Amino acid sequence: MFDPYYLQQLAIGLSLGMTYALMAIGFTLIFGVLNVVNFAHGEIYTLGAFAGLVLISATAPPIVAVILGALAIGALAGFSLERIAFKPFRRFTDEASLKSRAMRESTLLSSLAVSIVVREALEIVFGSQMRSVPFEYLINTPVRVGPVILVTGDFIIFGVAAAMLIGLQYLLTRTRVGLAIRAVSNNPLGAKYVGIDTDRTIITTFVVGSMMGAAAGILMGLYYGAVFPAMGFTPGIKAFVAMVMGGLSSIPGAVICALILGISESMATTFVSSGWSDMVAYGFLILTLIFFPNGLFGARRERV
Amino acid sequence: MTHLLEIRNVSRRFGGVQAVGDVTAHVNEGELVGLIGPNGAGKTTLFNLISGFTPLSGGTVAFAGRTISGLKPNQVARLGISRTFQNLRVFPNMSVFDNVSVGAVGALPQGAFGALFGGLHRSGRDRSAEISRRTWEALEAVGLTHVAAELAANLPYGQRKYLEIARALAMRPRFLILDEPAAGLNDTETRDLAAFIKRLHGQGLTVMLVEHDMTLVMGICQRILVLASGRKIADGTPDAIRTDAAVLEAYLGVDE
Amino acid sequence: MNAFENAAPADGLTRRRGLLVPALILLLVFAALPALLAGFDKGYFYQIANLALIFVLLSASMHLVTGVAGLLHLGHAAFYGVGAYTAALLTSKLGLGFTVTLPLSGLVAALVAFLVALPTMRLVSIYFAVATLAIGQMLYLVMLNWVDFTKGPNGVIVSKGFELFGFSLSGRLGAYYTVAAVVTLSVIAIGRLSHSYYGNALRSIREDDQCADAMGVSTVRLKMEAFTLSAFFAGIAGSLWAHMTGYISPGDFKFSESILILAMVVVGGLGSLPGAVIGALLLILLPEGLRALGDFRNIMVGLVMFLSILLLPKGLLGEVSALRLVRRQLGAAWRNTGPANGKGEGIGWR
Ligand SMILES: Nc1ncnc2c1ncn2[C@@H]1O[C@H](COP(=O)(O)OP(=O)(O)OP(=O)(O)O)[C@@H](O)[C@H]1O
Ligand SMILES: [Mg+2]
Repeated sequence: MFDPYYLQQLAIGLSLGMTYALMAIGFTLIFGVLNVVNFAHGEIYTLGAFAGLVLISATAPPIVAVILGALAIGALAGFSLERIAFKPFRRFTDEASLKSRAMRESTLLSSLAVSIVVREALEIVFGSQMRSVPFEYLINTPVRVGPVILVTGDFIIFGVAAAMLIGLQYLLTRTRVGLAIRAVSNNPLGAKYVGIDTDRTIITTFVVGSMMGAAAGILMGLYYGAVFPAMGFTPGIKAFVAMVMGGLSSIPGAVICALILGISESMATTFVSSGWSDMVAYGFLILTLIFFPNGLFGARRERV
Repeated sequence: MTHLLEIRNVSRRFGGVQAVGDVTAHVNEGELVGLIGPNGAGKTTLFNLISGFTPLSGGTVAFAGRTISGLKPNQVARLGISRTFQNLRVFPNMSVFDNVSVGAVGALPQGAFGALFGGLHRSGRDRSAEISRRTWEALEAVGLTHVAAELAANLPYGQRKYLEIARALAMRPRFLILDEPAAGLNDTETRDLAAFIKRLHGQGLTVMLVEHDMTLVMGICQRILVLASGRKIADGTPDAIRTDAAVLEAYLGVDE
Repeated sequence: MNAFENAAPADGLTRRRGLLVPALILLLVFAALPALLAGFDKGYFYQIANLALIFVLLSASMHLVTGVAGLLHLGHAAFYGVGAYTAALLTSKLGLGFTVTLPLSGLVAALVAFLVALPTMRLVSIYFAVATLAIGQMLYLVMLNWVDFTKGPNGVIVSKGFELFGFSLSGRLGAYYTVAAVVTLSVIAIGRLSHSYYGNALRSIREDDQCADAMGVSTVRLKMEAFTLSAFFAGIAGSLWAHMTGYISPGDFKFSESILILAMVVVGGLGSLPGAVIGALLLILLPEGLRALGDFRNIMVGLVMFLSILLLPKGLLGEVSALRLVRRQLGAAWRNTGPANGKGEGIGWR
C-alpha cells in the first residue's frame, strides 16, 4: 500500500480528479441546480482554453490576465449560449412557461447542436490539430512532496477548485443571487411570483457556470500544454459522470466523485494501457445509473 | 364460490401517508360496482394496486382465482383487467385509430416477426384482421369511428375521454376499471356516459368505477364501496350507502 | 401530415396510397440514378450515392428506435461500427465474402445491442440517452484500443468487394446496385415494422410508457426489441460500408457520427420514415453540393439541426416534435396530473 509507486499513482489520480472536479463544478451548477441539460458545456471549456491561447500568442500578458481573459470569454459564451440555445425555447411557453420547467426539458438537442457548431467553427478557424501553449506559460514545474512528485499545476488546480467550491457554496447559500438561483431551481413559478427576475437569474447561473467552465479550460490548457477544438468532449463526459455519481444536484458530491473517478482512472492505468482508462468513467456511469439511481450519496427526485 | 376480483387486507404506504390501509373487498363477475370516497381517500391508489401500477405494501389481490399481486401492469392487463386514468392519458401524437389499436395489440400481441412477415401467412393475416376488428368494434362502441383518422390531441376533451375507454375496451377485458370517467363532463355528457356504462354492463362486462358524481354512481351501480382515509368504511347497495352513518360522517367531516 | 398515413395497415384504414410514389422511387433508385451515374462515370459520384444510401439506412434504423419507440439514442454509430468491424474482420481473418458477412454483421450488432441493452433498458428519460452515449463510447474504445483484434487506430483493410454467392458485383455499378438493393429491402422492412400494429405498440411507449404498460404492452421487452432491431440494421449498414470503402477505422464510428444520424432523424421529423430518409439525403448531399465552399459538413449538421429544432419543431415530416420527445424523456418523472393540455398537438408546455 505504501509502495511509492502507488502513492505516485494516487497523487496523479487526485490531480486528475481535481481537473474533472474543476469542470464538474460549473457543470453541476447549470445542470444540477438549474436542471437543464447543457451539452455545450464542454465547448465553453474549449472556448476558455482558446481565449487564453489567443491572448497569449497576441500579447503575451501575465498569466493572471490570461485567466481573466478566459473568464471574460466564458461569461460572454455563457450569456450567448443561454440566449441562443435555451432562451428561444422558452418562447413556446406563454404564461405557463416557468411552471412547466420548459427550459430544462427542451434544450438537450439545441445545446447539442450549438456545441457542434461551436466546435466545428473552432476547427475551421484554428484547425483540428493540437496547438501547443508557449513553454513559459506551462504550469508543470515538478515539485517534490515526500515520496511523490507533483507539478505546480496540481496545486493551482487544487486551489482554484477549492476556491470555486467554497465561493459557490457561499454564493448559493449566503447571497441574494444564490437565494434567487435556488428559488428558481426549486420552483420557478413561485420564484416569479415572489418577484424574482427568473430570466436574469437563469442568465446569471449560466454566466457563473460558464466562467467556471472556461477557467477549467484554460487551466487545463496550461497544465497539459495543448489546446484543440475537441478537447472539451472528454472532460464534459467526465464531469457528467461525476455529477450523476454525486446525485445530480450536489456540487460537493460531484467534486468527491470526480476525485474518485480520477483516482480510479489512474489506478486502472496500472493494469491496462492508458487508452482504456476512459472505460472507467463510462463503466462508472452505467453502473451508477443501474445500481445507484440516487447517486452515491445524494437523493434524487426523478425516476431514472 | 370465488369472486372475480378478491382484494384481501391490501395496504399501501407512501412515506408517512397510509394511502390504502387493510382494505378487503371483492367484485363478482358481472357486477357494476362503484368506489367512492372523499378526495385523497385512496381510490386511485387502490386502482393502481389492482392494476399493478403501484406495488403493494401488504395483502394480496386475486383475479379469477389467480393471485395477481406482484405482476407487472402489462401482465395484469393481459389477464383481462383494463383501466382508464383519472388524468386522461391518451397518446397525443397518434391517430384515434392507432390509439385504440394499442389496446387491441396489447391483448393480442403482434411481434416484430408478425409485423415483418405477417402478411405472408394465414395466421399472421388473421391476427392483423382480428386486431383491426377489435379496434373498429371498440371505436364503434364509443361512437368515434368518424374521427378514426384524427390525431388524438385534436379531439375535444369529451371525445378523448371516450377514446380512453375505447382503448380499454379494445383489449376485450373481463373487468374494466374506470377512474372518474365523468370528471370534467357537463350534465348531458354525464348522463350519456352513465347510459353508456350501463350498456357495457348490460353486455356482460364487469365494471368498477370511481366517481365523485353521486347521481351517476347512485344511479347505475349495483353496489358501492366507500373508502375514507384509506380504509373501507362501507360496502352495500346505493340505498344502504345513502343512509350509512359512517359514510355521512366521512363526507360531512371532510366537506366542512 | 395525414394521420391515415401513419395508421396501421388495417383493413379499414389501409395506407395503400397507390403504388405510384413507391414505383417512382424504385425507378429513380434502380434506373434513372444508375444511368446518370454511368453517364458521368466518375468514381466520386458513385461514392456519394453509396454513402447517401448507407446513411439512409442508418437514419431509417435510428428512426425505429428514436422516432417510433421514442428512445433517445446517442450511440448508434457504434453499432454501425460493430457491423463494419464484423464484416471487415470476417473478411480479413477468415476470408469470408459479402454474402456471409452481411447477415452476420447485422446479427453480431444485434447481439451486442441485446447484451448491453439488458441492464440499461429500464432507464428512462435522459439517463437512457446518456447510457447509450456511454455504451457507444465504450464500443468505440474497444475498436480503438483492442489493437490485437481490431488493429486499433490503423483500421482494417477489407480486401473483398461485393459478391453474391460467389458472383462478383464489384464494379462501380455492381457495388451501387448491391448497396441500393440492400438498403431498399432494409428500409422496406423498417417501414413494415413501424407501420404496423407492432409499430403502434412502439409508438405508445414513446407517447406514454406507463400507460402503454397498462394496455398490455410489454414495454421493456419492446424497447429491447426496437433497440436490437435498429442495431441489426445499423450492422447491415456497417457491412455495406466496409465492403464499399475497402478500409475502415474507428474514426468512422465516433460520437459525432451518432449525432449526425440523430440530426438526420430530427431534421426529417421524428416518427416519420420518409422524413428520416429525406433527412439523411439532405445532410449527406447538401454538404457535398456545397463542398466548393470548404469543409463545412459538420458545422452544417449542427446548424441545420439547430434551425430545424428552432423553426420546425416537428422536423420536415414528423409526428412528434423533437422538443416534445425530449420534454417527455425528461419530464417522465414529473408528469403533471391535471387534465391534459387541450391545445392541439402543438407546443404547449405542461
Ligand atoms: N405516488 C404517490 N406518492 C406519494 N403519495 C401518494 C402517491 N399517490 C397517492 N398518494 C397519496 O395517497 C393518498 C391517496 O391518494 P389517491 O390518489 O389514491 O386518492 P383518491 O381517492 O384517488 O383522490 P381523488 O378523489 O382526489 O382522486 C393521498 O394522500 C395522496 O397524496
Ligand atoms: Mg383519484
